[in-house]
Amino acid sequence: MSEIKLLSSDQATITVEKSVAERSILIKNMLEDVGEVTEAIPIPNVNENVLKKVIEWCEHHKGDPPAQADDDSDSRKKSSDIDEWDQKFMQVDQEMLFEIILAANYLDIKPLLDVGCKTVANMIKGKSPEEIRKTFNIQNDFTPDEEEQIRRENEWAEESVPRSQPLDIDEAC
Amino acid sequence: MLMLDPRPEIISTILEYLPTQDLCRFARVSKQLQEMVYDDSRWVHKLKLMGIWSETEARHRFEDAMRRRRAIQAARAAEEERKALQNGAKTLNAGLVGGPPAPGIGGSSTLFDAGEEENRVQVQREASTRRAELDAKRRTVAGTITEGVNLMNLASLTPVDTSRPSVADPGSLLKVLPSIKSIRGFARHEFGKIYAALGPLYFDLAKAKTHTDPVVFRIYRDPEQQAQILGQLKIFAQCDTAHGWVDRLERLNLMIGIFENAALREFEGGYETGDINGRMRRYANVLILLNGGQACVQLFVQKHPIMFERGELGNPMDSFDKPMPGSFSLEPSLHFFTRLSALLREQADVIDRVFPATVNVMIPFLERVAEDVISEFVTPILDEAHDRDIEQYLKAVAGIYHRLLEFSKTIKVTRGSGERFPEEAMKIMGRVFEAHVDLYLQDELDYFRKKCEAEVDSWEKKIVEEDAATESFFMSNINREADKRDFLSTFKKVILMPVSVIPSPFSAKPETKPAEPSPYANSNTLSVPETSNASRPGAPMTPGQATPGPPPTTELAAKAAIMNSRLEGIRSLFSLEVALNLVHSAKSSLERAALFTSAGGQTGEEAREQCEQIFIALLQVLGPRHVKAGFDKAVEHLSKYNPREITEHSQPGVAPLVTFLELVNIGDLIQQMIDVFYEQELVATKLTDPKDFLNPAAKEKKRFEQMLDERVAAGLNMGIDVLIDEVDHLFAITQQTTDFNPGAIGDAGLRDFDIGPTKTAVRVIEVVSSHTKLLTGSTDKNVLDVFNQEVGIRLFASLDLNHYHAYITTLKIKPLVPYFNALRELSQIYLIDPSHAKQMATVIADPNRFGGIFRVEEVYEYATRREDWYRVKKEVERAMYGIGCCIS
Repeated sequence: MSEIKLLSSDQATITVEKSVAERSILIKNMLEDVGEVTEAIPIPNVNENVLKKVIEWCEHHKGDPPAQADDDSDSRKKSSDIDEWDQKFMQVDQEMLFEIILAANYLDIKPLLDVGCKTVANMIKGKSPEEIRKTFNIQNDFTPDEEEQIRRENEWAEESVPRSQPLDIDEAC
Repeated sequence: MLMLDPRPEIISTILEYLPTQDLCRFARVSKQLQEMVYDDSRWVHKLKLMGIWSETEARHRFEDAMRRRRAIQAARAAEEERKALQNGAKTLNAGLVGGPPAPGIGGSSTLFDAGEEENRVQVQREASTRRAELDAKRRTVAGTITEGVNLMNLASLTPVDTSRPSVADPGSLLKVLPSIKSIRGFARHEFGKIYAALGPLYFDLAKAKTHTDPVVFRIYRDPEQQAQILGQLKIFAQCDTAHGWVDRLERLNLMIGIFENAALREFEGGYETGDINGRMRRYANVLILLNGGQACVQLFVQKHPIMFERGELGNPMDSFDKPMPGSFSLEPSLHFFTRLSALLREQADVIDRVFPATVNVMIPFLERVAEDVISEFVTPILDEAHDRDIEQYLKAVAGIYHRLLEFSKTIKVTRGSGERFPEEAMKIMGRVFEAHVDLYLQDELDYFRKKCEAEVDSWEKKIVEEDAATESFFMSNINREADKRDFLSTFKKVILMPVSVIPSPFSAKPETKPAEPSPYANSNTLSVPETSNASRPGAPMTPGQATPGPPPTTELAAKAAIMNSRLEGIRSLFSLEVALNLVHSAKSSLERAALFTSAGGQTGEEAREQCEQIFIALLQVLGPRHVKAGFDKAVEHLSKYNPREITEHSQPGVAPLVTFLELVNIGDLIQQMIDVFYEQELVATKLTDPKDFLNPAAKEKKRFEQMLDERVAAGLNMGIDVLIDEVDHLFAITQQTTDFNPGAIGDAGLRDFDIGPTKTAVRVIEVVSSHTKLLTGSTDKNVLDVFNQEVGIRLFASLDLNHYHAYITTLKIKPLVPYFNALRELSQIYLIDPSHAKQMATVIADPNRFGGIFRVEEVYEYATRREDWYRVKKEVERAMYGIGCCIS
């Protein structure tokens, strides 16, 4: 069987190559467990639009080496650049971006989840706490006193180099 | 609050990709986010990336804090219960111990709507179990969160230094990394100290276009300070995992590279001007502060003039043709190592002045010297020697290697050279020979084999040339009885010499016949327990051979010379001298090869195996090639012996048998030599394991001994036949009828007869005893017993009488005695006077008298052989059978 069917949360059936679908560790493990499946596999958390988008990503990346078993927290990778295709792929509205991230998380497609998270991280970079709240629709649950205290607690991360007047070249250099 | 509650792991993943600055802003967004950002494991991870988090230290601190808390609690509980209640609540940060975040109120229409999320959660319920597992795996901070949170309370008991080094105080920044502590629950705090100090400088430097831009080079003016801060920045860069870190690291490395090169140039300048205590010392320090100073050590090692002017230490080719063409001398090598040793002593002094004890400079320097100077000196010598003459080569390898090891012991220890310096230095020196050892060991074995074979070959050739002469010599050998006896006594003296040192197994036996002096009689007083070679008496004349020491060696040499001259008779069979030469060669080869066992590792093991191989080669040449051939020849001579062809029987010796028995003695001597050689040269020096019965050397030695035993047994078997043939022949030609018939020669003869044995008996005993005595102490006691027993039984079959009885009792072999007792009793029959026919009958009829050896009928038969039988018959028979018989 080289093709399987997926059933989205809004009851759309999508036929997809098995090897593409197996980019999702969730689906891969399930297929290994139950063996041959003829009817469509329900993906209850993902609607047709998002599922199609995810499958598009999986098709483009089907040749990638399989994702390694869960890394442990100490071997967290350093942030590498997002490749050009993925950057374009992620140029969607914020709603879709988060849907993709959630779907990648649910379907257990780690590389896609990473790309999504990196994209979000880049979005957040340089934003003030208030801007972040707006972006994610998060309510500020600090009292003004708490807010001030926590600002001071994190002051160290905001310091920058005192720009002194230019000096001549150092002797060692 | 859309994405937070259901999936904190996604937030966590996003946080991982955030630069520190943005991470900290995230903490200010909401309480839940603050909790996630503040999670201790996140910051521990950053410290770990920099390699400055010590789990051990953290555990100790934790345990200390626990202990202290328990102590405080106990004290307070005892003091006042009421106050105890207030204890323990010194929470540093309320946020961290705060309860679960309040449910979000998602009113807006942004992406992550709370309500929608709630619905999804319900839909997903069926998959929730599976997801929970995945979540657990995915959560990068899982497990440590709870611990971290709990520890906040404990750790808060530890007073925390709240002041942070800041750019405002440049001096305080220099030591920021070493000041970091590993405290659980305080990783963020500690990281903050580092980030506040180094972060601004790091990001400033990462933006710099030229080396003049970075602020670090303006704040810090001393190269030492610059090195320190750059070294710290290099470590700090390890925790930069955010987007763009590659470029930042590259920029940093570029700047460090520029700085390092500048400092190295200063160091080099100091080197060239000999400014050891000034610039060299200073910039070595700068470079060590920067990154451990490996570049500086490398430069220091490479720049030493000896690497370029190694010719000054000596010309390797001086080892040859001086003082005369074709000769080889180790003198130049000795000079070379002496000069190098002096040079290293100076260098050790310089190293101690320039470098601190934390940096090991001597080892890399030695490695370089070994590779570039020593190898370059040694290799040409060995190559040249190999081309010229293999023996010269072998001596050169061993000689120079020995010098090298001696040299490595003279190398001066520096402050930073470490505790295991002598071994390491030895190892480095060993590597010089690594390329040569395999070839050398092979050559050594080949050379030894060739030499052994050449020795045996040339000897064999000599023998073949003399063969004709030898044959006739064998035949006439019988005339040299005096020489032979002389040799045998000398030989015995030599071989028995050590009886005073190591007891012979026979010494424990009481000497029953003092009339016949035993060679072991002297040892009666000794009652030392038997040794391993118990069945072989008198081994240790050979230690003189194996252990170098002037007196035994010369003594042995003298004895060997005497013996060789005495060994004329077996000259054509094998040569003790050849055997001694072979053992000598083996010893020198072994001693050379054994030097390399000290190298250890694979080389050492190979050298050890090669030593065993040399020993095996010795046995193979000495055994099958030399000794076995000799024995085979001797046995062949024996089998051809026919007493009737020999006209002269006046001497009590059968020539080929005497020869063979001598051979047994020599064979035994060689075996003992081998045994001692094995113990002294291989076992004592730990080159082989005698307990390992699978060991090739031990196996070969056993095979050698077996071969010898087999040859001896085969020869003795033949020898018995020959001996008895000779005895029978003696009877045939010498026994006179008058011997046992005094009546035939009249009254005068009667008187003579009573006095002693017949001439024939004397001769027979002489022949037999002279041969058996030859064997005494030279071969296995069991073999000897079997031999004597066989001779005795065969002797019995051939003859009778008293004298033989006396001889047989001297052999001390019990089963033989009854035979000869009976024989003696039997002879009585002929001595009884005819007038005492009654007594004669008693004798004949008494079966006990003959111990069952003869039946009454047999004795009667013998009695009828009396000359006067018919005169006494009636009387005797009447006495035996009673009245009834007289009718006949």
